[in-house]
Amino acid sequence: MSLKSHSRSKAIHIMLVYTGGCNGCDIEIVNAVLSPKFDMEQYGVFLTWNPREADILVVTGPVTYDNRKPLEDIYNAIPNPKLVVAAGACALMGGVYKNCHGDIPSEEIEGPVENVIPVDAKIPGCAVRPQDVLAGVVAALPHLLNAD
Amino acid sequence: MEEKKAKKQEIIETEIQMGTVHPAALEPYRVRFFVEDEIIKDAEITIGVNHRGIERIMEGLPVEKANMLTEKICGICSNSHTWNSVRTAEKGLGVEIPDRALYIRVIVGELERLHSHLLYLGHGCETLAHETFSMRVFYIRETIMDLLGMIGGNRVQYGCSIIGGVRPRCELDDNRIRRILDGMDTVEKNVADFADRFIKDSIVASRISGTGYIPQEQALKLAVSGPTLRATGVKRDLRTDMFEYDNFDYEVITQDTCDVKAQLLMRVLEIFESIKIIRQAIRDLPEGKITDRSWEMVDTGIIESYIEVPRGTLYHSYAIEDGRVRHSIVRTPSMTNIGAMQYACIDNHITDGQLCIVQCDPCFTCSDRAIEVYDTNNNKLDKSILQSNIH
Amino acid sequence: MSYEISFISILEVIITLIIALFIGVLIPGIERKYVQARIQQRIGPPVTSSGLWASIKFLYKENIEPNSPAPGLYKAMPILCFIVVLAIFLAVMPYNYQFMAFSSLIAIVGFLKVEEIAYVLMGSLSKSVMSVNLRFPDHAKGSIRQGLLVSSIEDISSSRSLRMIIFGSFPLYLALFIPAVLSKSIYLSDIVAYQQAHGPFLFTLAGLIGAVIFFIGYMIILNEYPFSIIKAKSDVIEGPYMELASKYRSFVYVTRGFLIFTLGLVFCVLFLGVPPVLVSWKFILCVIVSLILPVIMAAISAFSPIFTNKQLYPTVLTSSAIGVLAMVIALF
Repeated sequence: MSLKSHSRSKAIHIMLVYTGGCNGCDIEIVNAVLSPKFDMEQYGVFLTWNPREADILVVTGPVTYDNRKPLEDIYNAIPNPKLVVAAGACALMGGVYKNCHGDIPSEEIEGPVENVIPVDAKIPGCAVRPQDVLAGVVAALPHLLNAD
Repeated sequence: MEEKKAKKQEIIETEIQMGTVHPAALEPYRVRFFVEDEIIKDAEITIGVNHRGIERIMEGLPVEKANMLTEKICGICSNSHTWNSVRTAEKGLGVEIPDRALYIRVIVGELERLHSHLLYLGHGCETLAHETFSMRVFYIRETIMDLLGMIGGNRVQYGCSIIGGVRPRCELDDNRIRRILDGMDTVEKNVADFADRFIKDSIVASRISGTGYIPQEQALKLAVSGPTLRATGVKRDLRTDMFEYDNFDYEVITQDTCDVKAQLLMRVLEIFESIKIIRQAIRDLPEGKITDRSWEMVDTGIIESYIEVPRGTLYHSYAIEDGRVRHSIVRTPSMTNIGAMQYACIDNHITDGQLCIVQCDPCFTCSDRAIEVYDTNNNKLDKSILQSNIH
Repeated sequence: MSYEISFISILEVIITLIIALFIGVLIPGIERKYVQARIQQRIGPPVTSSGLWASIKFLYKENIEPNSPAPGLYKAMPILCFIVVLAIFLAVMPYNYQFMAFSSLIAIVGFLKVEEIAYVLMGSLSKSVMSVNLRFPDHAKGSIRQGLLVSSIEDISSSRSLRMIIFGSFPLYLALFIPAVLSKSIYLSDIVAYQQAHGPFLFTLAGLIGAVIFFIGYMIILNEYPFSIIKAKSDVIEGPYMELASKYRSFVYVTRGFLIFTLGLVFCVLFLGVPPVLVSWKFILCVIVSLILPVIMAAISAFSPIFTNKQLYPTVLTSSAIGVLAMVIALF
């Protein structure tokens, strides 16, 4: 493994963007980092709130109308190479909020996240479990390691 | 302390915007701080970022389906929403609930209060930038999360109520009861240790005492609810009015210093009361079935139900027509606490700004819905009247 | 005892520099894993992750033009900081003691001031996406107070670092001059010579108080919790560094560790009278002292929340007053 990919695998900065979910996934992801029980830092995964520092953007929530532009802004602010991990049922397919009237789409929801920014890995669950967050970030990692 | 108020004539130099994504906030909202040399003179919270139209989605759904949907209003107090929604339907349909189901609902409700209050403490410590305390609290919280996962089958969305009782999954057998009791012992000991350490820490004490002052009159004027109100010295807890809590012996905690310290201590002391309630519920847990499904679906008028949730008073109301939900309204406690959050920020340092918001235990994901504000004469208030009322 | 400049000595300085940079990038990991994570009862990140691998990783990232009114100046600041720290490092090297003006306390104070001014500039030049620039579709146009100057969160950080220059770094500068008062010279060579003759200042009363004050000033200038008001997570997120990406951010990472190590060397020279000479026990002592200081700092920062003005002013005032007291003691 080259120095480039080795260094990328050793220090991963993730940034969490919440786009209007129910708070469950956000707290579980923060929990995964902050709780000594899960302690994501032991695998070299750090939580950051600065898009310029981030490698992986973890998006939760169904991307409500008001959240679309902030999400795009933050995505554009992250330097390449970058990955997007969509976490939770809402981020994957809009959750219960999208299309719950059958054919009539809900105009509040712009999501799922794929409609707004490209997604590299998906973490299912409502709400996601902290273990799954780590698994999802690790699953997305090869894209990051092999990027230029 | 006299009432603090930002005068309109004052020259306010700068506006600082935080959000919608900010480390101190666990959810999207925007706050504007109007600062004069780092001292906040006024604050304005803009919500609406989270608006998903859940009440409109509920409109026309079968009642049971709508009840399940209310769980998705909030990821922190998910069970409370289900509980209150189910309670609304039960009230309208006149369903008799088995005693055992009521007790299990109370147990899960109190466990939820424990996890919500611990989350509040952890978030508060994180906003204080005290990582060690925050991690400690999150560590204690894991015990509760495990118990909730055991009862409801999921760590976060574990709502256990259905019309006529609780889900069969949530039956408490001896093994589960023993685990809950063990968990309560652990939590009680850990929280007591933590609180002891937290209160004795002089740096933390100097950060939190006197910060984010909300006087009692102002809290009543702004219609603050829940622990945030009780921390200003008003002994008002809706649990005293709820028939579910009739058989339990607990105290309504109040604090009188009205600052962040009072708010934090308030939650710590409520944790012990909740543990007390859970122990009583388990001791007196009646035998019998947990679900009574022998009810008839009828059309009802508008039904209203208020319960006390970890953050304050939760209101659900809808009518049932052909077994479907009509005209659903949900009012969450954070909605009424927003005024207090804005008020608490005034005259504080900008580093404390987010702390002052966090002290009212915000949950804007619950609260994001269209609102109309009426005054006592039933006149609808628009934005201009709101301005003249607040300032 | 004199040190001559020769090819060997230049080689020694370069080797010392490499060792210093290497230990410097390990320091954040040591702080995080062996101190803070132990206090927080968790495993913590790998030692090499948060300093070494993170800074190498950022070297390979794409460089995004910072959102700043003067991107060139903004990007030059981390490099300036690095050069300043390098200058301090060279000033404490015993081979440079013959350049009297360069290896004096005045020079060290001046270099540290440049570093602090860099924070002010970076703060005012950074316009991050995280506050005003976030495109938020505001349906309720306007606010209750209109027509105000809207500033981004880094501006607060900038004004705070300005305030830190005025009073925040006072304890450190007081502490730096206590050895000067004791040895009656501002030149490092004289301070070292005096201590080698009379024993380290650390074991005199004035020197001991001075060392404590130095440590408080050390925490303030390194912006570590609880003094990290210019990059407080609860309001300004990362403050001056918000817009730095790729190799400039890795400069920030390296500079921080290097500054921690260099200030440890300054402490050794001023309070122990031990200059970092590579092939002797003195260098090992220097390294140990330079590691003990951040370890104590990490332990303190793990146990304290962030200070606001209410706590910061009394702390700085008290430590400055004690510093003045130590100076008075040193005079007699």
